[in-house]
Amino acid sequence: MISFFNQYGGQLMQELGEHIYISAVSLALGVIVAVPLGILLTRAKKIAGFVIGLTSVLQTIPAMALLAMMIPIFGIGTTPAIVALFIYSLMPILRNTYIGMNGVDPNLLDAAKGMGMSNWQSIRWVELPQAAGVIMSGIRLSGTYVIAWTALASYIGAGGLGDMIFNGLNLYRGDLILGGSIPAIILALVVDWLLGLVEKKVTPATTQEV
Amino acid sequence: MMKRNWQKFTMLLAGLFAVALLGGCSFSWPGLAGTSPETVKIGSQNTTEQQIMANMIQQMIQHYDKNTPTTILNNLGSGNVSFEAQKRGDTDLTAIRYTGTDYQTVLNLSGETDPKIVNKQVFSQMNSKYHMTYFPSYGFADTYQFMVTQKFAKENNLQTVSDIKRVAGDMRVGIDQIWANRKGDGYSAFKNTYGFGFGHVYPMQIGLVYDALDAGKMDAVLGYSTDGRIRSYDLKLLKDDKHFFPPYNASVVVNNSTLKAHPKLKGILSRLNGEISLKTMQTLNYKVDNDLVEPAVVAQQFLKQHNYFEKGAK
Amino acid sequence: MKDMNLWQQLVYYFTHNGQYILDQFNRHFLISIYGVILAAIVGIPIGIYVSRHKHLATWVIGAANVIQTTPSLAMVSIIMLGLGLGVNTVILTVFLYSLLPIIKNTDTGMRNVNPDVLDAGKGMGMTRWQILRQIELPLSLSVIMAGLRNALVLAIGVTAIGSFVGAGGLGDIIIRGTNATNGGAIILAGALPTALMAIISDMVLGFLEKRFAARTQ
Repeated sequence: MISFFNQYGGQLMQELGEHIYISAVSLALGVIVAVPLGILLTRAKKIAGFVIGLTSVLQTIPAMALLAMMIPIFGIGTTPAIVALFIYSLMPILRNTYIGMNGVDPNLLDAAKGMGMSNWQSIRWVELPQAAGVIMSGIRLSGTYVIAWTALASYIGAGGLGDMIFNGLNLYRGDLILGGSIPAIILALVVDWLLGLVEKKVTPATTQEV
Repeated sequence: MMKRNWQKFTMLLAGLFAVALLGGCSFSWPGLAGTSPETVKIGSQNTTEQQIMANMIQQMIQHYDKNTPTTILNNLGSGNVSFEAQKRGDTDLTAIRYTGTDYQTVLNLSGETDPKIVNKQVFSQMNSKYHMTYFPSYGFADTYQFMVTQKFAKENNLQTVSDIKRVAGDMRVGIDQIWANRKGDGYSAFKNTYGFGFGHVYPMQIGLVYDALDAGKMDAVLGYSTDGRIRSYDLKLLKDDKHFFPPYNASVVVNNSTLKAHPKLKGILSRLNGEISLKTMQTLNYKVDNDLVEPAVVAQQFLKQHNYFEKGAK
Repeated sequence: MKDMNLWQQLVYYFTHNGQYILDQFNRHFLISIYGVILAAIVGIPIGIYVSRHKHLATWVIGAANVIQTTPSLAMVSIIMLGLGLGVNTVILTVFLYSLLPIIKNTDTGMRNVNPDVLDAGKGMGMTRWQILRQIELPLSLSVIMAGLRNALVLAIGVTAIGSFVGAGGLGDIIIRGTNATNGGAIILAGALPTALMAIISDMVLGFLEKRFAARTQ
């Protein structure tokens, strides 16, 4: 154990850093694009069904297939990995934003209108806070997905903890496999837990508030 | 109504089972080759020639002994993986083992580069230590070879590996994914023997190094001598003047227990001995690497063309 | 090959390697379905049990959740260390990933059964087994089906990764494509059928799920 860290500690920290970087960038891009898009969809219900349907179809595509399909388009490296992971992270967030915003009590919306709120004000002060919990649970789901798939993205040259796992697989070295896997598992669990805390925090105690 | 639903559901599950059962005939997982105990499990590393030879072996066995089920365990990452897999019985044989690799990384021997002596030592020690039978070579060797473009060789006046020393400090060199960490004939031993290292080394999928070299993304690569793209890109091979790399003669290696359990196997596999020259292997590799034909299909075409080597019965 | 564009190469690849692709498609699907069926055999009874012992639900579903959060590449590699290379490692991995959706949905489905219906059943003198078999399970069927649907879609993705431990399947084609010159067409030839398999499985099981739901209303 100690000798493993002596020999591979530096490499491990670097790969962990890459892993977090790739996951975080993909997830952040996903949030920046999917939340506004989800809000827009609630204002354009005609195309909403189609878009949501399309995203759920995209989400069924296995990660390995999607990652590999990036190679003919973007080549290998960090960029194609981030693009693929970004596409993946979009879907749970988009879906949950739409569902969350749609699930807001219509009486509340009427009340907001009655108070003379503009469309934007209603979104900002009424709908978003109400939907925050559901949106956050989408982000949480995306977060754990993205971490899992970043491990796989090492295959298209993205780096990250997958490098050590693949190295272990390629050399039949259990220490390298565990050395890469265990930190990846811990990272996924910690992020799931942290985002779960945020989710709880932003979920409104709806019924009492109104 | 509700009851009907439930019945439908159980019928659906049963139906799936039935479909699965019909799909195959073997023991534990119907329809999935390689899960019954008598299956001959063929290990194949993740290189093109390994996959071609693994398919050739599978089709040879199917041709001569229809009752023996076979399966291929594909994409094993290195000689280490295929060796460990064979040692613990995950596979029964490895499609290709290279004498030089086993000499240095499996048996931990060193110092000898005469092919005859290396072969002899490897054959006897693999048998006595690990109970594996090394078959005589297929007829080709797949050697690690430094290569550059003709243009780069001319500009820097390169003929041998020693010549690289002058420019090595600025060079970008593409290597396979295991050479950097390999014992015996790996990068660190190379630095000891030749007395220099490279500016940057880039481990990558071996299939990609030739394209990277041709596209000017690399200055030199450490390729495999059997790759068909050496000829199609007209790459310059640099002579290993210090005889650092041992000879890598290619053979099939089978567990002795498997040969005992399947008495016909030895005769079937022996038909391929000496039948595949370096040039043949390069051509076959090229069909897969460049012409979009699967190793399984290339193997089949080749065997049909040679009538499954029926004449050369041994 | 260089004079052909990607789509021409793809067509060329399909015409020259058709049988091989079909074989791998078959293998891929079987590995996935075996893992899911195994998980159904184990997971549905666990789900039923857990729905009756609510204090256990948090623990069981929590544990399954941890499995689900584990990156699949890590899972497959760790199991490989124990079970060795080959198909069994991948089937076990698929099995583990399929457990959560199946247990969770069985639990949810059973709990959502209207208590009045259960009381009616009891009133008619039905045994517990009869209630389970004739009322609860049929009523939760569409929810259980939804779990199986999730599980199968996940399974197809996990099986693709199984190619790294020698199990074969469409992942083999994808991996080979990344090794070849002009591999784009080969990559697509592996990736598109994988994606199609997932999408079609999702649609078919989704259709069944709706049919079951409609019948019970």
